[in-house]
Amino acid sequence: MREDYNPTRPLVMHIDLNSCFATVEQQARPMLRDRPVAILNRRTEHTMIITCSYEAKAMGVRLGMSFKEAKRLCPQLVGLESDPPKYRYVYHKLMEIMRDYSPSFTMKSIDEGVIDFAQSSAAIRDRDMVEVAQEIKHRLRTEIGCAMRCNIGIAPNRFLAKTAAGLNKPDGLNVIDHTNLREVLGRLKLQDLTGIASRNEHRLTQVGIMTPLQFLDADAYSLRTVVFKSICGDQWHQRLRGWEVDDVVYDLKTCGRQYVLESRQLTRAQVSQRLHHLVESVGSKLRSQQKCARGVGIYVRLYGDAEGSASNGRWGRKGNYWHEKYLAPLPFYSDAAIWAIARRLFAHVPPGGIREIGVHCYHLTDDMGNQLSLFGNELVREQQVTTALDEINQRYGNRTIHSADTLGTGVYVKQKIPFGSTRYL
Amino acid sequence: MNDELFLNERVEVVAVFSEGLNPCKPVKFRRASGREVDITEIGLCHPTTAGRRMVHMFDVTDGGADYRLEFDSERLTWLLTLEADRV
Repeated sequence: MREDYNPTRPLVMHIDLNSCFATVEQQARPMLRDRPVAILNRRTEHTMIITCSYEAKAMGVRLGMSFKEAKRLCPQLVGLESDPPKYRYVYHKLMEIMRDYSPSFTMKSIDEGVIDFAQSSAAIRDRDMVEVAQEIKHRLRTEIGCAMRCNIGIAPNRFLAKTAAGLNKPDGLNVIDHTNLREVLGRLKLQDLTGIASRNEHRLTQVGIMTPLQFLDADAYSLRTVVFKSICGDQWHQRLRGWEVDDVVYDLKTCGRQYVLESRQLTRAQVSQRLHHLVESVGSKLRSQQKCARGVGIYVRLYGDAEGSASNGRWGRKGNYWHEKYLAPLPFYSDAAIWAIARRLFAHVPPGGIREIGVHCYHLTDDMGNQLSLFGNELVREQQVTTALDEINQRYGNRTIHSADTLGTGVYVKQKIPFGSTRYL
Repeated sequence: MNDELFLNERVEVVAVFSEGLNPCKPVKFRRASGREVDITEIGLCHPTTAGRRMVHMFDVTDGGADYRLEFDSERLTWLLTLEADRV
């Protein structure tokens, strides 16, 4: 366990596109520049704002607000439906730029990435990192468009680089190293640190750690045994001192999708159709990662509080969240197999108006395995049909062939941009 | 919501194919009504696919409104698909 602050030259760079989707829209549509813009997932006023421009933020508009509420704060607010292909293009351009500087780069989400210059050639690694950061900002403006802005943080590890990228928004450039670490952390609050939200903050304040500086000064033993009660305490101790603990690639554990229903008046049969649509989408995502699953889980969120003790499923803490899952003995990957399980689970959903549905596959494996099955021929036939359908959909466009049950649901259940994972971009 | 007008209108386009990062630059287009629109800025140009067919999207402006032009690289056709943000 290192007690000192990491004294090495900062070689990790975190790049964060400012208000990414809104900025891309302002880049694409010059008449929207300098105007408050909000990006929505649906063209209705009750939908939630997923991102907004800095002009909108200055008027008090925040992420998660309904568009109707935001419009009261800022009457001139322009609401736009998200346009995933545009954001995907910018994501790939940013990736191309990052690749030019190091073979070791990671996209953390659709609008941020990390470059590890320790793996770069000496000619790049020996350059002044601030100069490289300014060059990247310039390239974003010339290769994508003049309205593109980003925040860049440079530090000895990923956590501090991300922290540095969060300072002086928009268009900031900050360096954190062992010389200014205390000074920077002294200006922040606990929740400004990535990974410290309300629960972790509560853990820390319970033992008298009220500021990031007190967090930095806490010893590893206390963090491990008293605050986090796990190895996470040791990791926080190292992370805050600039030592790398976050250079980890996690395996895909689940694959799912959820959807907030477009109307309160839908019948169970119509909700079932939308669930089927989600299943087809999840099946396609699963196969795009060359994975098979053994388990399927579904959840529903009902309007208000509902009582469901008689149902087979389980209820969440808030009372209106119901979920149920099933683990099969053999792996599967076709839409038909996932739907057969999901439909069975959906039959157990307790009565009440449904607000949101979701489905996910779990216990993912890399292939179907070679174990012989009594139903061998049937499985082979199912695999061949699924592969053929995927090929047709890839060639002629998504959902060229789909089940008759989901005919017409595509108008409502549209493909949206995943915020967390970059696997499917 | 915004004043977006979604269209599917075949247009005649004058474009320049030159060097640089974005070699194809539409300069002006004539709408079905005969009105000519001079493009003053290309906001963003990005490719997308319709199945395996490549379609290039050009988000452009004439300084009075924003437009989206789509160039189908297989059929070699230009479509005007959006008019919005009129001041």
